[in-house]
Order: sequence, then C-alpha cells, then structure tokens
Amino acid sequence: MGLRKFSLINFLKKNFNFIAGIFSEIGLTLLIIAVAMLICLLLVFIKSAP
Amino acid sequence: MIPALEREDLKVIGFNLCKFGNIVGFLLLVPIIVAVIYKEFDIIPHFLIASSITFILCNVGIHFLQTKKEMELKHALCFAALVWIFSMLLAALPLWSTGSVNSYLDANFDAMSGFTTTGLTLVPDIDHLPYSVNFYRHFLQFVGGIGIIVVSLTILARSEISSVLAFRGEARDMGIRPNVVRTSRVILGIAITFMVVGAVLFTIAGIKEGADVGTSIFDGLNYSMSAYGTGGFTPHSQSVLFYHSALYEIIAVIIILIGAFNFSFHFAVLGGRRREIFKNTEIRTIFITLIISTLIIAGLLLLSGIYSSPDVLFRKAFFQAASAHTATGFGTVYPAQISAVWPGAVLFMMSLIMILGTCANSTGGGIKAIRVAVIGKSFIKEIKKALSPNSAVVTAKFHHIDDVPLTDTIARGAMLIALGYVLLLIAGTTITMLHGYSMPDSMYETASAVGNVGLSSGITTPAMHGLLKATYIFLLLAGRLEITAVLVLMGFAILGLRRGIKK
Amino acid sequence: MIRKACFFAVILVLLMIPPVSAESGKELVENSRHFDNNMVTFRGEVVGILMRGDYAWVNVLDNEVAIGVWCRANDAKGVSFVGDYTHIGDTVEVVGIFHFACLEHGGDLDIHAENFTVLVSGGAVERTPNLLAVFLSAVLVALAIFTVFWLRRLRKERGEIVPWPMSWT
Repeated sequence: MGLRKFSLINFLKKNFNFIAGIFSEIGLTLLIIAVAMLICLLLVFIKSAP
Repeated sequence: MIPALEREDLKVIGFNLCKFGNIVGFLLLVPIIVAVIYKEFDIIPHFLIASSITFILCNVGIHFLQTKKEMELKHALCFAALVWIFSMLLAALPLWSTGSVNSYLDANFDAMSGFTTTGLTLVPDIDHLPYSVNFYRHFLQFVGGIGIIVVSLTILARSEISSVLAFRGEARDMGIRPNVVRTSRVILGIAITFMVVGAVLFTIAGIKEGADVGTSIFDGLNYSMSAYGTGGFTPHSQSVLFYHSALYEIIAVIIILIGAFNFSFHFAVLGGRRREIFKNTEIRTIFITLIISTLIIAGLLLLSGIYSSPDVLFRKAFFQAASAHTATGFGTVYPAQISAVWPGAVLFMMSLIMILGTCANSTGGGIKAIRVAVIGKSFIKEIKKALSPNSAVVTAKFHHIDDVPLTDTIARGAMLIALGYVLLLIAGTTITMLHGYSMPDSMYETASAVGNVGLSSGITTPAMHGLLKATYIFLLLAGRLEITAVLVLMGFAILGLRRGIKK
Repeated sequence: MIRKACFFAVILVLLMIPPVSAESGKELVENSRHFDNNMVTFRGEVVGILMRGDYAWVNVLDNEVAIGVWCRANDAKGVSFVGDYTHIGDTVEVVGIFHFACLEHGGDLDIHAENFTVLVSGGAVERTPNLLAVFLSAVLVALAIFTVFWLRRLRKERGEIVPWPMSWT
C-alpha cells in the first residue's frame, strides 16, 4: 500500500463546508464584538456631547 | 396511574451508571500525562488511586446489576440526574487527596462546578496548584460541557416539556443508548475542533503578550477548554486579568460565544447551512439580549462615573456581560470590586442575564435563549389574539434549523422551565441571605450558581458555611439539568418511599 | 518542609524590614476607589511575569489576592523565581501609584511601580511522593485490573457478556 500524496487543495475542497463554517461562526462573534464596541463608543460620545 | 418502582428499574439505572463510570475511570488517567510532562511524580499515585477505585466499584456494579430491562424515559431522566452526582463523588477524590482543597465537601463542590461548567471554586491557592491538577479542573469543564450537550439532546429532549431541544436531523424513535453513542461522537468532533482552534489562538496571544512559551501553551489549552465549555475555571487566581491583554480578552469572547451556541446550529453551519447564522431564532435572541444588556450595563457604569472611556467600557462592561450571558464566568474585574463598587442595578442586570443563559444544547446554562424567544413570541401571540376577531386564527413560529410552529405545548414547557429557574433563584437567594449576606450579593451569587455561570461577588470562598456549600452543589446540579431531571429523581425517591420497591 | 522553611524565612525578613505599612491586596481591592491614584506599598510573591518591551507586568500575590504591577522590564528581570507548584516565587515590595481602573491599561486594577524591590529570593520546593499513596496506588491498580478481567471472564462463562463495542449499542 503506497502513501497517498497529501494535497492541501484537495483537503480544503473536501472540507470546505466545515472550514467555511468555522470562519463563519468566528465572523459572527466578531460582528457581536464590533457592535458592542460601537455601543461603548456611542455611549461615551453621547455622554460627552454638550 | 404511575406504576410502582421495581427492583429492575433501580438495576437499569445502576447498571448504566456503572457503565458510564468506566468512562470516568479513564478520564481520571488523562491528567497523568500532564503530571509526567511536569515531573509531578508525587501527584500520579492520587489519580491512579481515584481511577482504580472507580473501575473496581463500577465493574462490581456492572456484574451484579445486569438486567434485560430496556431503559425508558423515566430511567433516563433519573440517570441524567444521578450521573452528575456519581461522577462528582468520584472526580472529587484526586482533588481532595492531593490537598488541593480543604475538605472532601470542597472537593465535591469543585468537581460539580467542573462538570456543570460553572466555575465557582473553593480551591484556596490556584496559583500553586500542581499543573496536572490544574489541567484536570479545566478538563472536567470540557468533558462536562460535552456531556451536558449529549444529555440534553438525547435524554432531556425526549420529555415533552423540553421537546424544543430535540436535535433536528436525528431519528427520534431511535433507542436512547444508540442515540447517545452516535450523538456523542459528532459532538466530540466539533468540540475538539473548536477547542484546538481556541488553544492555538490563546497560545499565540500568550506568547505575543510576553508570557514564556511553556506558560502560553499550558494556559492556552486550559483557557480554551474552559472557554469552549463556558466553564470559568482559569489556571490563575486572577482569571483572564492575569494577562492584562485586550487581545486575550477578545479571543476569550470569541470562544465563549462559540461555546454558547446551540450544537444543532454548529452541526448545520459546519455542514454547509451557513444561512442559519442569520435565520436562527436563538442566535438572533442572544444577539439582541447581549447587546441590550451591554448597553444597559455600560450605560449604568458610565453614568455612575466608574468607567469613562470607550475601551474601558468595552473591556469591563461588555466582557463581564458576555461572560455572564454565556454562563462562562471569566472575570476582568475582581469580585470584591463588583460587590463593593459597581452599582446595585448593574448587579441586578448581571443576575438577570445569568439566569437568561445561553443557547439550548450548548455548554452553557440558564433558561436558554430558545425559551426566552418562545416566551417572548407567546406574549406577542396572545396580544395579537386579543386584538383580533374571535374567528381569526393566530399562529406564530420560530426558526430553529427548520421553521417550527409555536404550539401551546412548547410555550407551556418553556414557561414551566423558566418558572423553575426563578423558583430556584428565590430559594437560593433566601438561603444565602439567611447566612448573613446582602440581598444584591446573594441574588448575584445564586444566579451565578443556578445559571452555571461562575462569577462571584465574594460569597463563594473556602470559608463558606458547609450547609451553603451543599446548597450550592444542589443549585449547580438543578440548574444544569433544567430542574426536570432532578424533579423526576425526587419523584422516584418519593415513589419508592411511599410504595416500596416491588421485586 | 522546604516550603515551610522558605515561608518562615520570608516572615523573618518581613519582621526585619523597617515598619512601612503595606496595604494588603484584600484592602486595596475592597477599597479600590479610596486608594485610587494614591501611593501604596504592596508586598507579595511573584506568580506571573509578562514582558512587554521596556516594561513588564508582574503579578504579585499576597496570600489572598493577586494584583498586576506595571514596572520597568529591568525590575522584572531581577526576579529569579515565579511561584508555582514546585517553586516559591520571589517576595517583592512594590511602592507605586494604585489605579482602581487604569485608563492606560483598559480599566484594569493595577499598581504602576515607582520602586520595585526583591526582598527575598524564592526557591525550588521539593515534592517527594507520599509512600503510603504510592503503595496504595500499586495495590489498587492491581486489584482493579484483576477485578475487571475476572468479572468479565465470569460473565463470559455465564454467557451474559455482549462483545465490546456492541455493549453500548
């Protein structure tokens, strides 16, 4: 039995949904973080407004 | 008519408990690898003793409790409750025998806090714990997080009251045990993936922030297990504050949010259904409640003059809100500061979001976002009904992988569980106050225990009264199992006492 | 034994130090607003060091609470031992400005050190295996292996056993 040559592209193609899913979920959490940052900025801006 | 308890009923539960106990026996051997790496040869015998006792007890149990009776729902619910208690008693052994805690009761508290992914701890000196024991605590949380997903998907979801938790995509008429095995494998795969991603990110961040490589790797692994498990244990007494790093905190928030998402959601998204990110009712609900709570908490802290700059508000208010809402318990503010300095209204808000909790079928606790959404939509449905003509048919639905009609059964189930949590909160707060603590602190601590969060106002310490420790162990378990399984277990016990056990 | 000796050595040195009152970590945290922007003296054991270019974070633990100290990198490099299971960390005395919510550091409660002194050098702690635990573990492991295989054999003979891994399906 010979060793199959590992191809990164084939691996990525085969597991595309899985890898894209991980990035999608991380993206969702970053979106939540970004909105929270915006809220904190807005709150300070509103408080310091004359 | 509820049939009387039979000896075979007890044998089914006992047999399966002992079979599961073998898994605990193997889990107790894993920290030995860490002990060897760090040359903690004095610790290895303690894990061997605990593991051996587990294997002996469980295999004797398996031998004498063999039964042909099939596991039914009532057995499964009792099993779900007892398995945590059984595992706690065994997992507490090495914590106690290594002297990491002051007593066996404290060891049980920490073991239960580990398995229920709470994070409240009675360890007096985390900074000088053996590396293997420190790893073991975080490992318990990772295992506990996976465990509760399995239990909630395969056992709790079978009861009508929690039918909304049913894993879409699995045949519901599959027997309980085959279902558990198949589901466990999938959950384990996804959990390990995210845990590894988290460990890599934390390790890189640790090195970047100035820690040595060894510390970064050890901390990275532990923080990741705790973060994905939304546990709250940390390898240092200062929690995430040890690193004084915005990058570390952001990575922590990413992983704890991922840990807080519904497993069915993970399964769908990782399987290619990425639209679920925008359509899923639970994700929308948790997004809304987290953002609103951040707004309120940050606003209150800003108005009270405690924090005044946006980055400070983000790193304190949002981080603590996220930690509370995802039932994690990581801290960037000392418990004594929260208790003594933060306004009471903030403590109340934090208590509320701790009880609201994370998504269903996740590693987190609380009422769960799906039930919050169901309750909210039920109220809207009732208002629409009242405003519509008598002949009108008012319907409602929510999206959980598929569109699900909001029936009265689902609404009733959600409200009953929510009521159960509120009752636990009231009872726990009252008992804590009876021990001399203030109401805001008592409510905060109880909400943390019932919601399996782990944030503390300073009440949970080794000096806590023994009765309060035992109370909190019960609250951790009841909160973890959404009360149902604990009530069924109590029902079993009462049935047995009243009618005796038939042969 | 060695850990106890180090502990008493620390006590002895602390008793010999001129009586400058040091605030305890618990006091500082519980009354953090009172101490905000004031000069404080804090003593404890080093339990963590994070180098950040010309500066460093040194996490100092005094029995109950660990507080982050922001100091010059050279001061941190003077620390020989960081406390963990097999080491007692250096005991340091920090004199500096206490911040309830440091604006420079994202609102963290910290101390910006003006003076950082290593009072007592730490050391290694020897941890020898408990002979009773070793003996007990050997006996129990042997008993566990025997019990598992003997009972399995008994059940197999009686025809009760279902071959693994089918036993969980």
